[in-house]
Amino acid sequence: MAAARRLKRVAASQPGFLTLKPSSEPADLVGSRRKRVNKNKKKNWNKFSDIADVEEFLEDVRHQERTTGGLLSEKSDDTLFFVDLGQSEKPEQKAEEPDEGKKRKGKASRPLRIDLILQHDSHIPPPKDVLAYQQPNAKKLRRIAQKAEQLAARGVVPRRQKRLLNRRPIDRTVNKAVTEANNNPDRGYYNLWGQESKDSADPWYLQQTGKKLVKRPEKLNEKPSVLPAVEVIAPGGSYNPDFFSHQVLLQEAHNVEVKKKKQEDRLEKQLAVNKEDRATEETALREVVEGLIEEEDDEVGAPNSKEDDEAAVAAIAVTEKKTERQRKKEKAEKIKEQQRLSSRRQNAQQQQLFQLRSIKTSIKQQEQKTKKKQVQRKAQQEAQKAQPRRLGKLKFQTPDLDIQLSDELAGSLRQLKPEGSILKDRFKSLQKRNLIEPRERAKFKRRLKLKYVEKRAFKEIT
Amino acid sequence: MGGLPKKKFERGSATNYITRNRARKKLMLSLPDFRRLCILKGIYPHEPKHKKKVNKGSTAPRTFYLLKDIRFLLHEPIVSKFREYKIFVRKLKRAYGKTEWSDVERLKDNKPTYKLDHIVKERYPTFIDALRDIDDALCMCFLFSTFARTGKCHVQTIQLCRRLTVEWMNYVVASRALRKVSSFVTWIQYDFHPTDVDYRVMATFTELYTTLLGFVNFRLYHSLNLVYPPKLDSKAESELKEEHEDDYAMNSESYLEKLSALSSSLARVVSTDEEEEAKLDEFPAEGEDMEQMEAIEKEQKQLETQKKLFEGLKFFLNREVPRESLAFTIRCFGGRVSWDKSVCIGSTYDMTDETITHQIVDRPNVDKQYINRDYIQPQWVYDCVNAKILLPVEDYFLGVTLPPHLSPFVEEKEGDYVPPEKLKIMALQRGEKPGADEEDEEDEDEEEEEDNDDDEEEAEEENLKQMEEQRSQGKSLQVKVTPGKVKADNPARLKEEEMAEEKRLAIMMMKKKEKYLYDKIMFGKKRKIREANKLAAKRKAHDDAEKGKKKKARK
Repeated sequence: MAAARRLKRVAASQPGFLTLKPSSEPADLVGSRRKRVNKNKKKNWNKFSDIADVEEFLEDVRHQERTTGGLLSEKSDDTLFFVDLGQSEKPEQKAEEPDEGKKRKGKASRPLRIDLILQHDSHIPPPKDVLAYQQPNAKKLRRIAQKAEQLAARGVVPRRQKRLLNRRPIDRTVNKAVTEANNNPDRGYYNLWGQESKDSADPWYLQQTGKKLVKRPEKLNEKPSVLPAVEVIAPGGSYNPDFFSHQVLLQEAHNVEVKKKKQEDRLEKQLAVNKEDRATEETALREVVEGLIEEEDDEVGAPNSKEDDEAAVAAIAVTEKKTERQRKKEKAEKIKEQQRLSSRRQNAQQQQLFQLRSIKTSIKQQEQKTKKKQVQRKAQQEAQKAQPRRLGKLKFQTPDLDIQLSDELAGSLRQLKPEGSILKDRFKSLQKRNLIEPRERAKFKRRLKLKYVEKRAFKEIT
Repeated sequence: MGGLPKKKFERGSATNYITRNRARKKLMLSLPDFRRLCILKGIYPHEPKHKKKVNKGSTAPRTFYLLKDIRFLLHEPIVSKFREYKIFVRKLKRAYGKTEWSDVERLKDNKPTYKLDHIVKERYPTFIDALRDIDDALCMCFLFSTFARTGKCHVQTIQLCRRLTVEWMNYVVASRALRKVSSFVTWIQYDFHPTDVDYRVMATFTELYTTLLGFVNFRLYHSLNLVYPPKLDSKAESELKEEHEDDYAMNSESYLEKLSALSSSLARVVSTDEEEEAKLDEFPAEGEDMEQMEAIEKEQKQLETQKKLFEGLKFFLNREVPRESLAFTIRCFGGRVSWDKSVCIGSTYDMTDETITHQIVDRPNVDKQYINRDYIQPQWVYDCVNAKILLPVEDYFLGVTLPPHLSPFVEEKEGDYVPPEKLKIMALQRGEKPGADEEDEEDEDEEEEEDNDDDEEEAEEENLKQMEEQRSQGKSLQVKVTPGKVKADNPARLKEEEMAEEKRLAIMMMKKKEKYLYDKIMFGKKRKIREANKLAAKRKAHDDAEKGKKKKARK
C-alpha cells in the first residue's frame, strides 16, 4: 500500500501531469520541482522565507525620514510644491545680493563645505537622553555610599562585584575530540601494569549488572605463527658484504629466478601445438571437398562395407535358448572350479607355516616403512608450521630478496642506493605470520552499464 | 523408537568455525571496521585442518574465524564506538550537504573517540609480555615516523610515532643497552611509497603499537629513575640554548627536536651525582657453581667494558653521513658527538674544536685537515661496536677500500667457513696483533713475484742464483745422501699419536651397524670441512686475482 502511495506521489510530481482536482496553483505543474521545507523551524526562517519586499518598504520609509524629515505622504502641499510665476523679480534680487556679498567679504560669505559635511544631514532629531535630565539627589547618593562602606566593612560583597570577581578568563577550550583521541601527539601515559584491579564489589553483583569484564580466552594468547616478528637479513645483504656471503645470497636469488622460468616453460610446453597438426592448405581443401567428389573408389569400397554390415547384423542377432545339457555342464564346471579354489586355499594356509620367516621379514619391512613415513610426516608438519597459512582466496606471494648485484654495490654509505621498501617488507611480514590475509585492491564494479552516445555533431559527420 | 537423525555439518569442526561475512553480520559492523577490530583485539583467521568439513562440502577458499573468538568480540566496548562513529559520519555528511555550518562545528567538536588502554592491558597482562612483542611495535613506529606529513595518513599518528621513537632512543642511550649494529642494503627511504600496501591496516596496527610503546616507555623510564615525559637535564639544556632556535623548528616542536638530537642527557627524578656501579651479589661459593659464577662475572666485566667503548672520545659528523644512526650508536657507548650547526638543532661543539678525536667523513677527500684527529669512514663505528673493541683506524681512512661489513648476527659453528676478516677481528679481540704479521707476509709474497732489490730478499736471491749456476754447470744438483738426524721425540706428540691409534682400533672393532652409523656421521662432518676448504681455496684464488690486477695497475 505504501508503495502504491509512493508511486502516486512520484507520478503526481512529474511536470505536465494533470490532476483530477483543479489545484489552486497551476504554476506548480509547469515549474520546477520545489523542495518541501518546514518553515516553522527557526533554522529555516532565515534560509527559506523571502522578506525582500518588506525590507524594501521599510528602507524606503527610513530614507524619506532621513532626507526630507518625515513621510512625503504626510507633508502638506505647500512644502512640496510651489507655483512658478515667472522670472520678473529675480534680476533685482540678484543685483542686491552681490553687493551684500562683496560687503561681507572680510567675514565668511558662505559656510565651508567641510562644516556642511560634518553637520547632521538627517532631519530626524537625535533621541533624548533621559539620564541627562536626571538630577542627582545628594542625600540619596550619600546614603548609598555609606551603605556600601558598611557592607564592605562587614565583608559582604554586592552581587555585581561578586559576579565580576567570579568571572573567569575566557578559556578557549581546545577541541575535546582532539585531546581525547588515541593518537594525540601529546597524550599522556601512566603505569598500566602497576595498578591493582578495582574489584571492590561483589562478583555476583558485577555479573548481574553486566559490569564484569569478560575474560580473554587463553587460546588467543598464542601467537598464530612461530616466525619471529623481525627477521635478520642474511649477511650477504649488508651494504658492504663479504664476498662469499654475497655470492650465497646471489645464488639463492638465482634459484628463485630459475624456478620461475621453469614454471613458465612448463606452461608454454603444455600450450604448445605440434607443427604437424597445423592445418595446411591441402588438408583444408580435402576436408572441404570430402564426400562431394564421386569416384570409382566409392564402388570398390561399397561391397566391403556391405559385408561388414552383415557381420555386425549377425552379431546382434538373438541367441537361441540354452539346452538342459548345457546348463548341467555349466553347473558341474562351476562346482569343480570352486572345489579347486578351496583346496588351493587350504594348501596355501598349511604351507604358510613354513613361510614364517619370510612373513616376519615382510612384516618388519612394513613396520619400518610406516615408522619412516611417520617421522617424515612429523617433520613435514613442523615445516608447515613455519609456512604461511592459506587464509583466503589469494595465496601468499613471497617477496623478492633485497639484494644488489655486484656492480650495483656501493663502496661507501653515501653512494648507497637503497633497495626495497621497509613498508612493503613489514606488510609482507604481517601476512607471513598469519596476522592478516593477503588481499588485492577492491576493484570498482559498476552496477549499471555505461552507455556511450555519439554527439549530434559527430553523427552528422559520419 | 524416535530420535532425530544425525545430519552432516551439524556438530564438530563445522560448528566451531564461522566465515568472515557471517561474523561481520553477527557483529553488525562494516568490513573495514571488522578488520580494524580484529587487528586491535588480536583475533586472527584460522585455517581449519579439514577444509571440506568446515566449509560444508565445498572447497571454495574462504576465511574462517573461530566462533568462540567472535563471541568474545561481542563483549568489546569499542564496538559501540565504531557504530557511533558511523552515525557521526552520516550526520556530518548530512550537515555538509545542507550547508548547516553551525551543526558541522558542533558535530566536529563532539566527534566520538576511543582509547585502547584496556585492550593493551588485556592482551599483555604483565610487563614481560609487553616486552616480548616490543620489536614489532618498534618497527612499525620507526617506519611511521619516517613518513611525510602530507595528510595522506593522519598527521597526528606520525607525530606521535616520532615522539615515541625519540623517547625510546633516549632510553637506550641512557641505559647503554645497544649491543649489535648492522647496516643493510634496505636503508630507510623517505619518499618512495609502494602502492600495493594497505595503509589502513598498517595504521590500525600502528594505533595499537603506539599505545603499547607509550606504556612500555613509561615503565622503562621509571625503572631507570628518569622523568617521563622526558626532560633534558637542566645543565645540558642551558648548554643547548642557542640564539637562532627559531631557524630550526617552531616553538612547539623545538623541544622534541632537541630531544631527538640525542646529544644531551636526560633529567632524573632523584638526582644522583655519580652512577653507582651495580655489584653482583656474592653468593656463598658452591663447588659446582663456582665455574658458572666465574663465567657470569667474566661476562659482566666484559659487558661493562663494552658499554664504555667510546668513552672519552669526541666525534664530529660531517654533513654527508647519516647523522641520526651514528649519533645514536656513538652516544650509546659513552662517546660525545656533534655536527655542523646548519644540519640539525642540538650541536654542542663546532668542527673547529681542537679536542675532537675522530671526524667521520664519507667523501674521497677533505680540504682542511687537523692534525690530532683521525678522519675515518662511518663503517668504523659499526664495526667497532660489533667487534666490541676499538679497531685500528688505518683500514678506514678516506679513500681506502673498506673491509667487508660483517653481520654480527651470524654465529659460525665449527667447521664452517669463517671469512678471514672475522678471523682477524677475533685475533684482535684476543689481544694479538696479527695484522702486522699478516701484512709482512703479504709484502713478502708480493715482492717475490716482482723484480726487487730489497734487503730482505737478498738471501733467497743468492740461494736461487747458486742453484741456477749449478744447473747450468752440471746436470744434476749437488744432492747428497746424508745420514739422517735423530729428531727429539716430543712426548705430547707421542701421546696424541697413541690416542689416534686407539681410536682407529676402536673403529675397526665396531659392529657393522654401528660402523654404518659412524660412517654416516663422519661423512657429514667431512663434507663440511671439505666445503670450508673449497671456499678457502676459492678465496685464495680470488685474492690472487686481485693481486694480479693490482700488479697490472701498478705496471
